[in-house]
Amino acid sequence: MLPGRPLFWQIQPIWLFYSLAFIAVCIFAAGLIYRIRLWKTGTGGFPRINSRHLIRLFSEALLGKKIWSGDFAAGFMHFLIFWGFAGLFVGTVLLSVHEYIITFLSGTIYLVYSATLEIAGAMLVLSLGWAVVRRYVQRVSRLENRGSDAAVLIWIGGAAVSGFWVEAVRLTALQPQWQGWSFIAAAMPLAGMGSHTATVWYPVFWWVHALLSLGLIAFIPYSKLVHMMTAPAAIYLSDRTAGIIPVDERIPDGEVHTVADFVGFDACTRCGRCAEVCPATRAGEPFSPREYLLWAQQRAYENAGGNAILRRGILATGTADALFNLHRIWHCTTCNACIEVCPVSLRPPDAIRQRRSAVVEAGVEMPEMLAQSLKNVFKYDNPWEATKKKRAKWSKDLDLTDLSKNKKRTGKTETTDAKATGDICYFVGCTTALDTRAQGLARSFAFLLNRAGVAFGTLGKKEPCCGDIARRGGEDGLFEMKREDALDVFNKYAITDVVTSSPHCYHTLKHDYPLYPAGPACVDSSNLRIRHYTEFIWELMEKGRLVFDGSGPVTITYHDPCYLGRHHRLFDLPRNILAAVPGVTLVEMEHHREDSLCCGGGGDRMWQEELDGEMKMSALRIEEARETGARLLITACPLCLIMLEDARKAAGLEKDLEVLDLNEFLVRRISD
Amino acid sequence: MNIVVCVKQVPEVTDAELTISSDGSRILADDLEMDINEWDNYAVETAVRLKEAHGGTVTAVTMGDEDSEDVLRQALAMGADEAILIDDEDFEGSDAVGIARGLHAAIKDRPFDLLLAGVQSADNGWGQVGLVLAELLQRPYASLVVDVQVDGDRLTVQRELESNTLERVSLPLPAVLTIQSGANTPRYVSILGIRRVRNIDIEETDADDLGLDEDQIGVKSSSVQELKLSLPAMGEGAEMLTGSVEEICDQTARIIREKGGLQ
Repeated sequence: MLPGRPLFWQIQPIWLFYSLAFIAVCIFAAGLIYRIRLWKTGTGGFPRINSRHLIRLFSEALLGKKIWSGDFAAGFMHFLIFWGFAGLFVGTVLLSVHEYIITFLSGTIYLVYSATLEIAGAMLVLSLGWAVVRRYVQRVSRLENRGSDAAVLIWIGGAAVSGFWVEAVRLTALQPQWQGWSFIAAAMPLAGMGSHTATVWYPVFWWVHALLSLGLIAFIPYSKLVHMMTAPAAIYLSDRTAGIIPVDERIPDGEVHTVADFVGFDACTRCGRCAEVCPATRAGEPFSPREYLLWAQQRAYENAGGNAILRRGILATGTADALFNLHRIWHCTTCNACIEVCPVSLRPPDAIRQRRSAVVEAGVEMPEMLAQSLKNVFKYDNPWEATKKKRAKWSKDLDLTDLSKNKKRTGKTETTDAKATGDICYFVGCTTALDTRAQGLARSFAFLLNRAGVAFGTLGKKEPCCGDIARRGGEDGLFEMKREDALDVFNKYAITDVVTSSPHCYHTLKHDYPLYPAGPACVDSSNLRIRHYTEFIWELMEKGRLVFDGSGPVTITYHDPCYLGRHHRLFDLPRNILAAVPGVTLVEMEHHREDSLCCGGGGDRMWQEELDGEMKMSALRIEEARETGARLLITACPLCLIMLEDARKAAGLEKDLEVLDLNEFLVRRISD
Repeated sequence: MNIVVCVKQVPEVTDAELTISSDGSRILADDLEMDINEWDNYAVETAVRLKEAHGGTVTAVTMGDEDSEDVLRQALAMGADEAILIDDEDFEGSDAVGIARGLHAAIKDRPFDLLLAGVQSADNGWGQVGLVLAELLQRPYASLVVDVQVDGDRLTVQRELESNTLERVSLPLPAVLTIQSGANTPRYVSILGIRRVRNIDIEETDADDLGLDEDQIGVKSSSVQELKLSLPAMGEGAEMLTGSVEEICDQTARIIREKGGLQ
């Protein structure tokens, strides 16, 4: 007799099994469809799949790339659970194929099949045990423990272990010659059961296993196990940024979250990696990205229509007791640290920004200081409540070209200003132009540009606000207005080549402006070339137009601005600039590059001091800088510069550490 | 409950450098940002919250030039349903009674239960228009109101008196209240909110439509005459520090040290 396995051996009635299976699949489908219907209320829609999506799906969903990174134990555990579960699932599907479509599971193929499933089962059971240890013995701090977490482990474990028992009883009853291939089932304790007893009891074991397994299938969409489906969907959707819907096209009080946001809520497994790296959480503020996702998910399902039983099912097991409220959404600095670590590639800051826009639209729960700053942007065209005159004051003694007075470029009259030939527009930005500390950045950069002989100018008093604060704060109408104003100014003075002080202006101009749909309704921004000053300085250095000499050795450390590093992946560039300066030794802080700590100034936090916890984010950062022993802390963003300078003073480090903008440092090191 | 709320557009002067015309007749407003009068903003918020709690409509009314439409749009964005603009140069030079007559004429034929106004305006600061309106309407009146509770056909309101004292008074509807600043947190008005109400028609009217002549409004009817505006002279003992921020800081530190503030 060839090795093989009789299907439904001793099992009657088979139709009962198939009826139960049908019911389980229906419950599964109902839950999944209920969720998909909610997703479809989101804005943005699904993108078409392309090869880049497939590569991402392969590396992140199938190989779990981001699960491994930073936590090998978690990565390996998930690997075992994933492939154990997948192996058993595929095994079951193959059994159906063998039974109903093509008979192939016999002889050697069966033995390999049997042994493979044996290994898959062992991987699953072992890794579940490991999960229990991590969760309840080792108590990995980022994991939050809910009843449903235990239910998931027990249920999958029950299904897997009962499967081994079914196999063991069957082997005892039939005593096949090839049972050595079922090495784990052979080791299951059966309390000395004999062949006859095993034959009698076999159906009981079989039905228990069948019910547990079918129940598990039905349970999936109502538990965090739904991430088997939603995680790949979220990874797929994360690969693009949703375009901006112009405010006039929005439905009053309409849904603010995108399809990707909703899928993301359902893909979150509460692993807590985001909470571990969130600078606000780290500073003891009542916020973490995970809490927002759970809260938003719960709210979405509470307000969802449709079948009340399904809704309650999802709410009962999927999400519960999210510790959050609407006022906490303003804590997010939009630093994107959470995005770096999320294994399912969620983008909590994007979802939170969308929620902010709903709060702004309603108006009643706006934080007062932010409301004031936004009003200032509307009235004064900057968040600092400064008049137009003050904007150009920093450069009063520098004799810079004012591109807004450059008559030649308008083509109407001859230029009266011989210097007005600058092609490059140095976009100073509100904070750099108006904050006394940040003005050092502007003055130094202007000095370097002059030294390199660059034809450049600024827009002087006419320089517009890019609208970053409005965009981050969810004041979408104001952002749209600022965008149009800014593009009008650029067009009026024929400006196409822009270099910014701030990574925030850089991001807003370069990334956010093109998010508006092309067409007559929105001003086009595609003719603009936007660079950050670090990019421009590097180009000048490569051309040999800026040369630095060594005026003695100095140890420095570099703080990555979030909007330069994580948002635009400019990690190496500023370091390369520093490395090219003779005498510089760069030492890194504990957190740098992708996992750099936020200074606490982004996402409009610069204008909301009242949200600070007992420990400021900038204080945590300055402490890391101090620990390096470096004399200089260098950064490349006006907000970071102000925040870190303040933190340095607050920490009493005036004598030990100097905070400088990269330009300020380069001015000191320029060759005569 | 149907509510009428009076609003006014005023220049924002907190941080502005004011300049007065050479003849001392007016403040040069060219560089000034205009905004809703602070007290009126609280009055609008009070009105909208009462509407949200008890139903009805809110009508915002203002007297001013066409630019004053901005404050009406703001009130509409906050939740007012209708808006009236009284735009007539004849009102220039009016005293509180003249202004109140204009507002009264514009609203007297509308059925309303409650009329709200700010306690005072930031520019003129008379603090009289609400009171005169109550007199013209022959309605009970409470000033300096920081809280309003509706109790059937009566109102219970809290009035803010000096030294943190609150007075609770009850008055029958319809009534007139002037709302004190700080009574609530006025909601944020987003640009989107303003754009959503841009197509709401604003009812425009003038002195002729309202049947008011120069005996009742304007300079001629005014019982007070404005003589001259001037900026307060710098008092003795005041010293203006000039220079860069660093220099000002150095001087400040020196003064504090010299006067014994830092030992």
